Amino acid sequence: MANNRVLVVGGGLAGLSATMKLAELGVAVDLLSLTPVKRSHSVCAQGGINSVNDQTRQQGDNEWNHFDDTIYGGDFLQNQPPVKEMAYWAPKVIDLMDRLGVTFNRTPEGYIDRRRFGGTLYKRTAFAGATTGQQLLYALDEQVRRWEVEGLVKKYEFWDFLGPILDDNGRCVGAVAQDMVSMEIRSFAADAVVVATGGCGLIYGRSTMSVFCTGSAASRCFQAGAKYGNGEFIQVHPTAIPGADKLRLMSESARGEGGRVWVPRKPNDTRAPKQIPASERYFFLEERFPKYGNLVPRDIATREIFNICVNEGLSVDPTRMCVYLDLTHIPRHELDRKLGGILEIYEKFQGVDPREEPMKIFPAVHYSMGGLWVDYEANGEGGLLPGSPRNQSTNVPGLYAIGECDYQYHGANRLGANSLLSCIFSGLFVGPGIVNWMKSNKAAADLPKSIFERAVGEHTARHKKLLSNASGTGENPYLLHQELGDIMTRTATVVRYNNQLTEAYEKVSAMVERSQRCSLADTGNWTNQNVIFTKSLQDMIPIAQCILKGALMRDESRGAHFKPDFCMPSLQATDPTERRLEAEKWCDAFEENTSKFLKSSVCSWKGQEPDLVFEDIDTRLMKPRPRLYGLVGGEVIEEVWKQRSRSKEESAPSKPAATKQLAGSV
Amino acid sequence: MNVPTPSAPSQSGSLAGFLKKHDFIIRRLHSLSGLVPVGAYMCVHLLTNSSLNGGPAVFQNAVFAIHSIPFLPVVEWTFIFLPILFHAIVGVWIARSGQSNLRNYRFTSNKRYWAQRMTGYIAFAFIFTHVLHLHGWFHWDWWLGFVEPLGMAQFRPYNAASSLAEAMKSLGFVWPLFYLVGVLACVFHLANGIWTAGITWGVWVSPSAQKRASLACSVFGVLLGLAGLSSLAAVSRTDPATAKAIEDQMYKVRVDGHMIQPNEHKRSDGHHTGSSDPTHNGTVSANDPK
Amino acid sequence: MIAPGPEVSPSRRPSKINVRVLRQDGPGTPPYWERHQVDYEPDMNVISVLQKIAAQATTFDGKKVSPVAWDCGCLEEVCGSCTMVINGRVRQSCSALVDRLLEDNPEEIQLQPMTKFPVVRDLMIDRSRLFHSLKRVQAWVPVDSYFDMGAGPRIPREDQEQNYPLSQCMSCGCCLEACPQFNKVEVIRHAGETDEAFDARKKQAYDAEFIGPHAISQAMLFNSHPVGKNLQKERLETLTGTGGIQACGNAQNCVAVCPKEIPLTTSIARAGRAATLHTIKKLFDR
Repeated sequence: MANNRVLVVGGGLAGLSATMKLAELGVAVDLLSLTPVKRSHSVCAQGGINSVNDQTRQQGDNEWNHFDDTIYGGDFLQNQPPVKEMAYWAPKVIDLMDRLGVTFNRTPEGYIDRRRFGGTLYKRTAFAGATTGQQLLYALDEQVRRWEVEGLVKKYEFWDFLGPILDDNGRCVGAVAQDMVSMEIRSFAADAVVVATGGCGLIYGRSTMSVFCTGSAASRCFQAGAKYGNGEFIQVHPTAIPGADKLRLMSESARGEGGRVWVPRKPNDTRAPKQIPASERYFFLEERFPKYGNLVPRDIATREIFNICVNEGLSVDPTRMCVYLDLTHIPRHELDRKLGGILEIYEKFQGVDPREEPMKIFPAVHYSMGGLWVDYEANGEGGLLPGSPRNQSTNVPGLYAIGECDYQYHGANRLGANSLLSCIFSGLFVGPGIVNWMKSNKAAADLPKSIFERAVGEHTARHKKLLSNASGTGENPYLLHQELGDIMTRTATVVRYNNQLTEAYEKVSAMVERSQRCSLADTGNWTNQNVIFTKSLQDMIPIAQCILKGALMRDESRGAHFKPDFCMPSLQATDPTERRLEAEKWCDAFEENTSKFLKSSVCSWKGQEPDLVFEDIDTRLMKPRPRLYGLVGGEVIEEVWKQRSRSKEESAPSKPAATKQLAGSV
Repeated sequence: MNVPTPSAPSQSGSLAGFLKKHDFIIRRLHSLSGLVPVGAYMCVHLLTNSSLNGGPAVFQNAVFAIHSIPFLPVVEWTFIFLPILFHAIVGVWIARSGQSNLRNYRFTSNKRYWAQRMTGYIAFAFIFTHVLHLHGWFHWDWWLGFVEPLGMAQFRPYNAASSLAEAMKSLGFVWPLFYLVGVLACVFHLANGIWTAGITWGVWVSPSAQKRASLACSVFGVLLGLAGLSSLAAVSRTDPATAKAIEDQMYKVRVDGHMIQPNEHKRSDGHHTGSSDPTHNGTVSANDPK
Repeated sequence: MIAPGPEVSPSRRPSKINVRVLRQDGPGTPPYWERHQVDYEPDMNVISVLQKIAAQATTFDGKKVSPVAWDCGCLEEVCGSCTMVINGRVRQSCSALVDRLLEDNPEEIQLQPMTKFPVVRDLMIDRSRLFHSLKRVQAWVPVDSYFDMGAGPRIPREDQEQNYPLSQCMSCGCCLEACPQFNKVEVIRHAGETDEAFDARKKQAYDAEFIGPHAISQAMLFNSHPVGKNLQKERLETLTGTGGIQACGNAQNCVAVCPKEIPLTTSIARAGRAATLHTIKKLFDR
């Protein structure tokens, strides 16, 4: 691997684990990041990381169940082989992180402690206080620093990725990037480029994400020809602390450790929360979802909280919408040990001690399940073929995407504590595939210089043009961003309507041109944050278009994407026979909808707007079934559905063999 | 090196380079020397002085004991003066390596950090002057002939209390005030220094242990400070003439009893600048301008 | 819709906030104060003030200026980006709430870059030295490989509870800014100097100076890990070498300003003890 180099863009969990694995395999890595990698957004992940473990195993859990929960929680919108592989790797990932020195909480006997998270009935989640993401990131950061000292990794921090460089055959042979301090624009020749740049929360203005999660890097790949999948699936986290600059996450672990969500039964109850007796508290999640209680999947919890405030008028605060998340029944020392980090955040930013008084929380944009479309190669068991260069590869050869910015693992809704897993897993797994990819290709360093010079020239021209926009006459990029955020938050979050989406899509599409007219308050060429931000704003718009277009075209409700005009109704009938009949119809409708919409929405960029096609999903391991968390009449539907599945299996006895045949040929 | 700061590292094999390279060992020796022998000596010294509260005779007895140590100048230089000089010079270098920021960070331990350096500077000036004032630093005659007329090198071991009292009175309130400030600075510096040394060497580690140690060091400081103050008070109460009579009597008894060798250099009466005659036992003192 | 505006507090509030920012156009240029004024909103923090200043790009007397440059990331005090000196004290600007600041000084809010690091521009500083210190103490667990070798060693809960707080260090640099023994090192790039030569010169300058409390604490963290321990000797060699632990002057500002309340002075005392034993051992093992 003498003169092979890989460029990793992004230094969060995914980027760092890829870097470290590649370095171990002897590959030199250039690691490019907007911020010192130790400050990447992964630090904000609080709750934990999921895997089957010795304890849950003995309670009947296994890797398959983790896979099943992930697929079911994601409403079947994932290609199944990568998810299966991830679930089966999960225990190994945690073992590795344990060896790297992550300070996971321990049982008194010294084993890794586990908590329960949403969408599962098992305690799968390993955690380090309430700053698990930070702890995992630091362990990887330390390893990468070790490789930096060894000389295999070179970091470029405070560098902005401007776009991939493609050769004449459309292969990615490097990238152009800009030093955010000196504003120098230069090319990086690379035999593979790995994009690990996380989510796109800034498209929504305020979200739980860090300020650099603009999605612009993914957008630049998208605009260069990479496909973008399932953009409309944006996770709105049920519990966040509202703030003027940011919506701060209140981890699901608060509920995992016994936190209860409630509102006073009486609207506009002015009593202090502690004065309200238990009988007058409405624990709406527990009442409506007795099986999962406060730990229903996130999309459902979000909709319920939204609903209780907006439609039922039970918000605990008349001036702003919020519900109580109550931890006050848990002993203080227990809270400090397991949730210290997040409770401090609440205390620091709200000035109220959540150990004494219930927290006031409300949903906020949190995670993008969608992202750059990536390929995979399945093995005979329906998992992934290790070392295949196709794994995590975008449709642009040599351009890889991992972590939150790929679309692969979480379908229509991500389960809590699965994101850290998908980031580290995809980072570790991509390495061997890249090594094999490089073996079969000419080294990028040996390609003609003109390819790189041309790319640098294009980006320099874009940069200069932006600086030359006359000041004061055009759009203010910060205000334009606010406008974009407002539109997106209003129309493309918890509840979506086609008329609103259509209007929003038109407005946002008009921003493509408006954003070109941004005039800058700073036209200098030294640490010009103004121009960097404006460029990322321009690049947010194509992704915003993908989100809106996907949402518009998907006339159904699935996971985080909820359209009241297109959702599967609850059963109304009370008479058992009629109810049964209704359930039959419900199942017919479900099957019809599945055949129509159980597909990935895949966008490609056409210069001004995205072109969207629906792509089939690889459900080779598990057939879709209705997701019935808490639906009225759910038990009848389940019964009908089971009968149907059984009779189908009987009429097609050769099905297992068919699955086998499918395997390996995606 | 293009490092435009006062702390700019110099690798050029100079003294600064040497100090940087052996920084750890030098600073640990500095810390150690502050405790033993300098700190320990200071305790003995202040306690000896406070024996003056028992009257000139008690004090004189203590001084006789000290002066019975053989090769006293060698002992003084090896175990007292050189360690003090080492501690002081390295201390100044250390103090200059930092920049106090008390204005913005008014925490107790930051105040102590600042005070440790301030008292260090004061102690440096004080001890240097104090030794010159009473001891004279060197006992070569040409040197004494130079400094004694300036009011320095005034202590006479065999007329301990009386010469001390005379020396303190020579400039009105100036010397008493000087000693008051100096002694208190030294005491603070030692007490606080024990506390920081305990952290430096890793004796008290946890915050609660450090708090307990801090309390213990404070009590120690107060007691030692009281010893120092009581000595100063005792000096101011001492009448030189009365004291001298007692001392001369004690001297005579000891010489007669062959407990000490006669040594007029250590006496007020016999002390005569420029005199090189050890047997000289005259009555020059009567003409002594003091 | 999502997360509506923050609560309006009933107490008396000003309508405008005066902000004074110490600006600097680049390394080696003179710093200058600039006054800005932004509209007051309830529950603001310094980040939202700076966001408003960036959007306005106009001083309080109406002069058009370039937006103030600053660094921030997570805005919830876990990434360590947004450290600056606010009203004379170093802290994270995201958790610096305007209402509190105005209680202390209703006249104005004063923002300055950290003083112990070279200014890149305005409030942005270059903290590469801080990360370099982590290399000096080899702050990592030297595992054999990243292959699946099963779980790590079992760790008693007590050890985890000791190490977790140390592991929360987010490299923000507050401890270094407040430390009177940590001095600024600014290496100016020569004209035409290559990246490599410049980096080497910076490394040399950093290596000659105090490593800082954060790195001492990280050394203690890894020295108490069952496998991290394998580099214990090397770390103690660094801690007793040039710019090592001896530079600590026990002002204990580090622990007082640490936003994560990391027991830095406990780590320093532990390192002091380890260094004592290490040196004595070296003396007799020689």
